[in-house]
Amino acid sequence: MIATKTRSKASDTRYEMGRGASELARYTVLVTWGLVALLPFVLMWSSAFKTSKEIYRDPFALPASLSIDNLVRAWTVGRFGNYLGNSLIITLPTVLGVLVLSCLAGYGIARYDFKGRKAIFLLFLLGIMVPFQSVMIPLYYNLRDYGLLGTYGAMIFPAIGLGLPFGIFLMQAFFRGLPDELADAARVDGCDEFRTFWQVMLPLARPAMSTLFVFQFMWTWNAFLMPLLYMQKEDLRPLPLGLMFFQGRYTSDYGLIAAGVAIATLPVIVVYILFQRQFIRGLTAGALK
Amino acid sequence: MELAPTTPQRSFMRHRAGYFFVLPALVMYAIFFIYPFLSSVYLSMTDWDGVKPMNFVGLSNYQKLLGDPLMWVSLGHNLIWVIIGTIAPIAIGLLLAVLLWGRTRGQLIFRTIYFMPVVMSAVVVGIIWGWIYNPIFGFLNRFLTAVGLEGLARGWLGETNTALFAVLAAAIWQHVGFCVVILFAGLQKVDIELIDAARIDGANSWQRFLNVILPQIRHVLTMVTVFTVIGGFNVFDIVFVLTRGGPANATELIATYTYRKSFSENQVGYGSALSMVMTVLALAATIIFMRIRSRGEELE
Repeated sequence: MIATKTRSKASDTRYEMGRGASELARYTVLVTWGLVALLPFVLMWSSAFKTSKEIYRDPFALPASLSIDNLVRAWTVGRFGNYLGNSLIITLPTVLGVLVLSCLAGYGIARYDFKGRKAIFLLFLLGIMVPFQSVMIPLYYNLRDYGLLGTYGAMIFPAIGLGLPFGIFLMQAFFRGLPDELADAARVDGCDEFRTFWQVMLPLARPAMSTLFVFQFMWTWNAFLMPLLYMQKEDLRPLPLGLMFFQGRYTSDYGLIAAGVAIATLPVIVVYILFQRQFIRGLTAGALK
Repeated sequence: MELAPTTPQRSFMRHRAGYFFVLPALVMYAIFFIYPFLSSVYLSMTDWDGVKPMNFVGLSNYQKLLGDPLMWVSLGHNLIWVIIGTIAPIAIGLLLAVLLWGRTRGQLIFRTIYFMPVVMSAVVVGIIWGWIYNPIFGFLNRFLTAVGLEGLARGWLGETNTALFAVLAAAIWQHVGFCVVILFAGLQKVDIELIDAARIDGANSWQRFLNVILPQIRHVLTMVTVFTVIGGFNVFDIVFVLTRGGPANATELIATYTYRKSFSENQVGYGSALSMVMTVLALAATIIFMRIRSRGEELE
């Protein structure tokens, strides 16, 4: 043990010599990709303050003045307030629905040994593997028959149903890891099955719930194909879809489009910065399983 | 004091509570996934156009599919997409993750910035890259002109031989951050002592990476690969926003072709058969992944 330590120290000094140069190379690569990832956004946002003429003349230049003309115009002409509201009306109930149903079902699958448990779990897993396209066509006609087409429900209900496989998978993995003693103690204390779940086990699941929350939020907020198919009425369009049609209508008004993009990206960035730990921790936990 | 249920009878009663926990989710799932999924399978064996009464036609849609040149063109594009769209972001992501690993200043800031494109909607990414490729004022052409390569400037999304790769580049750009974060997480489990030992044995950094680090993160690597492969078979959003499958089908993929057939041309039966192709590809990729994974576990 001691021998290894001295030997590794000796090799460390040799290692240190080439280090300054390799450190520089290392940070150069890291910063370069940072710029590649970030610059397109910066160009877009700075263009939001420029006139179309300015953009055409030099797309890379900083705006001459901080005119919020485009932003105001996009907000009013582009009805982005409307789209933002639609996105919230769709996303919040969807996330809540997935969270509630996934916690319940994940707990049931992880903590009870009822008949058909395995089959039900496999059935849910199937939903993780197959793409949305495998249900999108009949779903359109189903929603029409249920009278949901042309309402927010046309997106909320299927989004909940399709979010469940991942949610249940995540929650059952978490509940499975909790020790039996906790639930048993609660039962001895006279809690019924639901209260054991609600008051003892669920509060422990907060980390898994916050992971599910951020991912489901992101997927619903950014969903594109589902609203494209089921929310064709202009009044119902969520932000991404609204932005796409907005871009199609004002193709050559570059400053206005940039402002639309800036407005559409702002809520995502705020949520991302607030919850970035949950994003990264959730992926990290998933990757290590 | 009464103890927790011990007799099989009471334990059975207790476990029955599981049904009540699972039931609400199962009902939602059955209505909005299982039922439409089975309907898809059925519709793929009909000639339905969305309006007229449907006729059962057996496997003839699938037969037609085999002879449909556009299906094969789309599938070929998906294959290109899967191959390049998997190798490129994982290679870039792996490089960045390894470079970030260890004592790096601003580790979290780098990861946060790299991940930012991942959280954006495909529409935002599409519009941004549409600008980058714009033939009139596009940043890419302006940049090429500025560095004296104006001969390379072109309408990237408008020409059939560059369109697919241009869209793919946007998708890769968006996906790299996802690969970095997951691979970086995988690196946290790598045994540093083994690397030190390899260094002492005279292994250079490339050998250390290949023989010591790579085997230890192969679980995470297969996981990222399967995600990316499945994503590559299903990709729709970014292509629809940027090119809608054009020009001249140069970026037509199974997903955009399915959309076109079932919703623009109202060939619901045929479109359903196409959607089944996507389903089978995604399932096959998952099963292969699980095989590889369980074999890896046996070896351990």
